[in-house]
Amino acid sequence: MSSQPGRRLDSRTTDEGDDVAGVVELDRHAAVEAQGLVKHYPGVEAVRGVDLRVQAGEVFGFLGPNGAGKSTTVRMLTTLLSITEGSARVAGHDVARDPDAVRRAIGVALQEAGLDPRQTGRELLELQARLFGMSAQTAAGRARELLALVELEDAADRRIKGYSGGMKRRLDLASALVHEPEVLFLDEPTTGLDPASRLTVWDEVRRVNDRGTTVFLTTQYLEEADQLCDRLAIIAGGRIVREGTPARLKAELRERRGLAAEPTLDDVFLDATGRTRDRVAGDVQEVSA
Amino acid sequence: MSAAWVLGKRALREGRRTPDALLPTLFIPLFFLVVNVGQAAKIFPAASTEFLHGQGYGAFQLPSSLLLAASFGTAALFLVEEIEGGYFDKLRASPVPRSAIVLGRLIAELVKAVAITTVLVLLGLAFGISIASGPVGFVLLVALTALWAVVFVGFMQIIALKTRSAAATNSAGLVFFPLLFLTPNFVPRDLLTRPMEIAATLNPVTYVMEALRSLILEDLEWGTIAPGFAVVLALGAVMLALNVRVIQRYD
Ligand SMILES: Nc1ncnc2c1ncn2[C@@H]1O[C@H](COP(=O)(O)OP(=O)(O)OP(=O)(O)O)[C@@H](O)[C@H]1O
Ligand SMILES: [Mg+2]
Repeated sequence: MSSQPGRRLDSRTTDEGDDVAGVVELDRHAAVEAQGLVKHYPGVEAVRGVDLRVQAGEVFGFLGPNGAGKSTTVRMLTTLLSITEGSARVAGHDVARDPDAVRRAIGVALQEAGLDPRQTGRELLELQARLFGMSAQTAAGRARELLALVELEDAADRRIKGYSGGMKRRLDLASALVHEPEVLFLDEPTTGLDPASRLTVWDEVRRVNDRGTTVFLTTQYLEEADQLCDRLAIIAGGRIVREGTPARLKAELRERRGLAAEPTLDDVFLDATGRTRDRVAGDVQEVSA
Repeated sequence: MSAAWVLGKRALREGRRTPDALLPTLFIPLFFLVVNVGQAAKIFPAASTEFLHGQGYGAFQLPSSLLLAASFGTAALFLVEEIEGGYFDKLRASPVPRSAIVLGRLIAELVKAVAITTVLVLLGLAFGISIASGPVGFVLLVALTALWAVVFVGFMQIIALKTRSAAATNSAGLVFFPLLFLTPNFVPRDLLTRPMEIAATLNPVTYVMEALRSLILEDLEWGTIAPGFAVVLALGAVMLALNVRVIQRYD
């Protein structure tokens, strides 16, 4: 399904009460905006024309099956990967033309937590803060705050090599927050976390969002998307196939299928990605449509 | 520049915390020094061998060992590890000039190479080698060797950025390696056989080696020292330009 600019325009008018002067007005409120984003790897069309608009202040969920193009999209939006076709703006800056301005405005935690095993957690955070232009002293203070925030104070002075997977993920999240970014990109931030750590990450996402950071996150956990995200998009085979609030996506499916009960986000996901779930005597089967 | 320095300090920390990667750079060159001297010293007695300028054969061999120590390129393997582990992307997503990411590692290499070279030369002094060109010569000796190390690691780094593979980077190191031996390694250039002499003359490493050697065996011979520095500076400029270009196009 293509996006519906008309509807979004309407909902914004009612939500915020200001009159909609047109595209320019909208642009100012867009934290992430992509038009016809395409990425070709040799022999693979990973992303095939993605349009996205994430409003400032939103928590935006980006869902899709394995290999759908989520990470590829995130890597293009975070200046790490060149864009084959189309254009994108993040925090008001063109990703291809002004990557440095984008980098100053974003925090990034990628799918594979990118950490240096030979540094300690504290050193890593201090270095990250220095790279964003803080003095050594400010950086040390910021590292202390963040270590407390992600509950890694006890491990702060141990080498990252010895951290568990969950500790690494939390440290990676902390390192994405050093400069209080305008837009935070999280690629599967809770994959592999125990339930308590997952809640820590959720709390942290809500907290930074409350302080005004726009969050763009990918996830495989539909419950997570339901709990955290104001709006979400589902990508399959490199194209956006659904976009909207979790409630609206569920309502839309219920209407279209004439369902008696409210469907879950799982149902929406399976429907959107071309699979259905048949319940046969309590068994759950996934069937390719 | 300050970002490069911050990243350089981090690369140095990485080196310090991996002594097992650093120690071979010290011991393998020492091993070759001892073995080469042990095998050839009798052929070239100090008193009757003109090209030794009155010193032992060890003084003649020291430059080979210094260059060997400066041509391990371990730092490039750390870079591959960093790319594979994803930390490299973290750095690329931060607002530092792309060039600072490669320069940081080269700065660290310079510091490391100065330390290792100094240790090796001091060990040489302890075993009776003297630096005929005096304290200035000592500084030039260490500086030239360390700059060579930076150039060598810089080229390895380009391979690392291009291939992103430890195996490929390692074998690239092996391709460069013969350059160290197509030099007047055991005797001066004019005593080499004709084909070897041609190869050595074409090989830029020869001029670095001859400069180092003259600093140890003779007084400040600018005519021999200058070509060594010229080679290192020219290759260094090419290396820097390529590094910056490759990281700017890294995708
Ligand atoms: N560096 C690469 N070179 C070639 N193909 C790639 C590369 N990276 C990703 N791809 C391909 O692009 C497609 C999209 O991959 P991507 O990593 O964006 O998917 P994803 O939605 O993040 O999946 P997952 O849920 O498994 O993380 C896949 O078909 C993948 O094989
Ligand atoms: Mg992914």
